[in-house]
Amino acid sequence: MNKILPFAFLGAAGMIFPYSVQLIFLQTPIEQQMGTVQKIFYFHVPLAWIMMLLAVVCGVAAGIQLRRDSKRAEAISIAAAELVLVTGLGVLITGPIWGHATWGKPWTWDARQVSTGLLWLVFAAYVLVRHYGAAGSERLAAGLAIFGAIDVPVIYYAVKIWKTTHPSTDVAGSLPSSMWAALWPALIALLLTSLALLMIRVRQEMTDVALDEAWIGLEHDAASPNLAAATGDA
Amino acid sequence: MAAPDEVQTPANDDYEPVEGLDQQTVQCVRACESEAAAKTASDYEHIVWAYGVIWSLFVIYGVFLWRRASRQSNEIEDLQRRLAGS
Repeated sequence: MNKILPFAFLGAAGMIFPYSVQLIFLQTPIEQQMGTVQKIFYFHVPLAWIMMLLAVVCGVAAGIQLRRDSKRAEAISIAAAELVLVTGLGVLITGPIWGHATWGKPWTWDARQVSTGLLWLVFAAYVLVRHYGAAGSERLAAGLAIFGAIDVPVIYYAVKIWKTTHPSTDVAGSLPSSMWAALWPALIALLLTSLALLMIRVRQEMTDVALDEAWIGLEHDAASPNLAAATGDA
Repeated sequence: MAAPDEVQTPANDDYEPVEGLDQQTVQCVRACESEAAAKTASDYEHIVWAYGVIWSLFVIYGVFLWRRASRQSNEIEDLQRRLAGS
């Protein structure tokens, strides 16, 4: 079941995505102030929500890994961090594309942009430490993941605390129902894709751990007669 | 009836209003239409880039996972061979 579920999610996302695109371009009215380019919103915003959700998942899993030394939590943390990089890069590229068309500038150094960039860099550091770090560096990486998760509320409240070019968090509540109707399928398509990739990556990480243990066991078994012979000779 | 090559288009001074619109209004509408069309074309260019980037990133990550899965399959086969041999 666990093997089929990610592919079922990908299949469902593959069907919802075209439906969502036709809703966005054919059924949803053109926003009056920004014009057609506002349609980037339907994928940029859900992608940012998913990025923040994954960053929290990664931080919580890293906390569990530190407390209970859980291999599953560690695998979830690694998978979620990689997906934060993927979704975060998407947010950091589509945002400036939208900004270029709407504000006339791709990057304005506003608080939400900077805190999102910081989140991405923290998780890039996490992935690099996990990949190149020496033995024991997984605890340092877990600390980085927790630090990254703390940045999520900063991103969310940045528009309330500081003066920014991004709209306030209240804008979502004021959206007309036709825009919400187009936003949900886009969110579901992206969420299903992200969940599927997360599940596949967690499985791979668990397989890597099992393979490592199997190789160590095999080497140990192979080394044992030599060791016995060596101790017998002594 | 005049032959097609004998049809004369009126000079600018002889402008005749169509559908009750004066020349200034028609020119203004055309200018607005042209500006709106340019804005929409630019908007669609931005949208295509944004959507393309998002789905390309997912595809690239999918390929990365697929390559990783292939490497793991090879490693499992290698391990099975070693176990069968020992």
